[in-house]
Amino acid sequence: MKTRTFAVFAIVAGLSAAGGVAYYLHSPGGGAGMDAGEVVGRVLAAPLADIKGGSQRIGQWRGRVLVINYWATWCAPCREEIPMFVRLQERYGDRGLQFVGIAIDQPGKVAEFAAEFSVNYPLLIAGVDSLELLRQAGNRAGVLPYTLVIDRKGNLVSREPGGLKEARLERLLQPLL
Amino acid sequence: MRFVLILLMAVAGFARAAEPDLLEPDKAFRFGARLKDAGSIEVRYEIAPGYYMYRDKFQFALAPAGAKLGAAQLPAGKKHRDEFFGEVETFRGSLSIVLPFELADSSVPAMQLTVVSQGCADIGVCYVPHEQKAELRLASLSSDAASGLFSGAGSSADDTLIARVFEGGFWLVILSFFGFGLLLAFTPCVLPMVPILSSVIVGARQPMTKSRGFGLAIVYVLGMAVTYAIAGIAAGLSGAMLAVALQNPWVLGAFAMVFVALALAMFGVYELQLPVALQYRLANASNRFQGGHTLGVFVMGVLSALILGPCVAAPLAGALLYIGQSRDVMLGGSALFAMALGMGVPLLAVGASAGALLPKAGPWMETVKRGFGMVLLGMAIYLVSPFLPVSVQMLAWAALLIVTAITLRAIDRLPPNAHGFQRFSKGLGIIALLAGLAYLVGALSGGRDVLQPLSGLRVTDSGHAAGETPFERVNTVAELDARVRAAAGRTVMLDFYADWCVSCKEMERYTFSDSRVRARLSEMVLLQADVTANTVDHAALLKRFRLFGPPGIIFFDRDGREIPGLRVIGFQAADRFVAVLDQALAFRR
Repeated sequence: MKTRTFAVFAIVAGLSAAGGVAYYLHSPGGGAGMDAGEVVGRVLAAPLADIKGGSQRIGQWRGRVLVINYWATWCAPCREEIPMFVRLQERYGDRGLQFVGIAIDQPGKVAEFAAEFSVNYPLLIAGVDSLELLRQAGNRAGVLPYTLVIDRKGNLVSREPGGLKEARLERLLQPLL
Repeated sequence: MRFVLILLMAVAGFARAAEPDLLEPDKAFRFGARLKDAGSIEVRYEIAPGYYMYRDKFQFALAPAGAKLGAAQLPAGKKHRDEFFGEVETFRGSLSIVLPFELADSSVPAMQLTVVSQGCADIGVCYVPHEQKAELRLASLSSDAASGLFSGAGSSADDTLIARVFEGGFWLVILSFFGFGLLLAFTPCVLPMVPILSSVIVGARQPMTKSRGFGLAIVYVLGMAVTYAIAGIAAGLSGAMLAVALQNPWVLGAFAMVFVALALAMFGVYELQLPVALQYRLANASNRFQGGHTLGVFVMGVLSALILGPCVAAPLAGALLYIGQSRDVMLGGSALFAMALGMGVPLLAVGASAGALLPKAGPWMETVKRGFGMVLLGMAIYLVSPFLPVSVQMLAWAALLIVTAITLRAIDRLPPNAHGFQRFSKGLGIIALLAGLAYLVGALSGGRDVLQPLSGLRVTDSGHAAGETPFERVNTVAELDARVRAAAGRTVMLDFYADWCVSCKEMERYTFSDSRVRARLSEMVLLQADVTANTVDHAALLKRFRLFGPPGIIFFDRDGREIPGLRVIGFQAADRFVAVLDQALAFRR
């Protein structure tokens, strides 16, 4: 009786474990997509519109510690963390920290937002092709906010889907500055 | 035993850890569109609990160029203040949008609708604008506008009632599943668990009070419910054929043995009790805490759920399908848990009536116990029947029925002043005796059908022996594709079958044999995937259709594409099946 019980549970447990592992391996960000170097290269090279109508590449800030934040004005959880980004930019800007916001949004709204919240770092506007890049960067579901942390040498240090806590971001950034 | 429990918890914990926090946008915002009438399209969204969409962010586009969209009619959303945008309206739950359109060229066969939407999850993320497409066939409007099928983006295969239920709110889902379980409780799957529980409770040594009986019943039902929840989650996460794992001859054989052992105890062959040494220790333990026996009862509940799992697999299929697709493990697990609780209600009634429904002593009690014993033996035969040759099954049934008849005093003379109950039980006994003899004769004369034991005796058998349904076998995805392609211009029916699948056999025996069904099937190409062996190829086939196992019938239209919304999962009687076949044959893209 006892060994049979165990056998049945072993089957159930085994199935569930196998399923869990299989799912983990296939889950978004679980290893799929391009390798990190390629992602950074393409993100830095992509031309993006700024809110004044010009075109910018993030590559111009190469050599600084980059925090690239995908966001939108209509995305409430994205807006919530921006005052914190502004604070950190002010605190660590002269130690080489550079925030860059990429908005999935209309330029007018972004400009309005930047003025209202005195955003002290560049805000760029994403086009359709940068959405594709966002997905290839491991964000398959297309989640916002989505934040990439890149060190001075251009290595991808972290991809952070969802809202960031100040303490966590500080912990990520301190060793890089 | 404690180890087993720890293992269970570990499994549950692991399942939770592997679960992602976020749904893919296609699953969070399930999309469908259909032609409502000649001048409007209905777009529907089923928004997963915890997710919402913005009312003012929808964008609609219609191709080809001759089709023009009017202003979309959106229902009012839920208003809330947004610090940046002011007032914002959002949608949750089900959403239906009507899009008026005008078509300049009436010869266009189909239109393509593209919808871009934006939504967020309560856990604090949003999705980038998400594009979903649907094809709207104008021809389908003329043929059957009433049943206009929703065409969605890939994941619209949840045709079963159960999957629909999931689209309601959380508590509605839970309640529906509870009711569903309550109905299942009265199927032959679950009723035999009543005598098992009774035997567990009757087998308990301590004097049985109502509250203790009820308590034990609760523990037993909880055991069942926890197992269902875990098994459901496991099946959902792994997408594996859990039913197959449990339908292994060794597992079923083991359970059949358990049933036989319980039956023998019912017949009074031995007392259902633990070895004396263990009893002594348990008694000691239970003086200190109410542990020992309770744990045993819990494990019995777990075991019985595992036995019944395959038995209720068909109704579970829809639920498992949904869990597997949505990865909404919490909701899926809770729903199955509620279902098991529903199934447990009659058991609770038996437990609570420990004093009433089960008389303490006397000849009446002996009869009831013998009856339970017979049911248990019947269950044991039923469990292993998929693995036994028909003649052996028939011999087993013959033995069971004849012995039952003798216990019911079928051949004893009735006393002249016999009262009603004695006469009634003698009547039952004679029926059982005759049926048993029929099985015996059938087995010895080479009968091949358990439901028609004497059919082997028929001399010539015209008409009825029209033969089995002429299915072509397919074993791999490649084979299936080739056959479906070769069938171009004809409707194709694919039937998933396995030897252990009871409802597949019922389908074959009662539904496919119907003359109306036969007439319609003769117009189709009939394919059958026999997945009894459960090879890798079989698993791939099932996975392709997001099935966890048979039963499952899938139709392909004349162009070889699956007809959405027309799957048959589980047994369906001829009347309903004829209607499904008509729809399949009439289907035009």
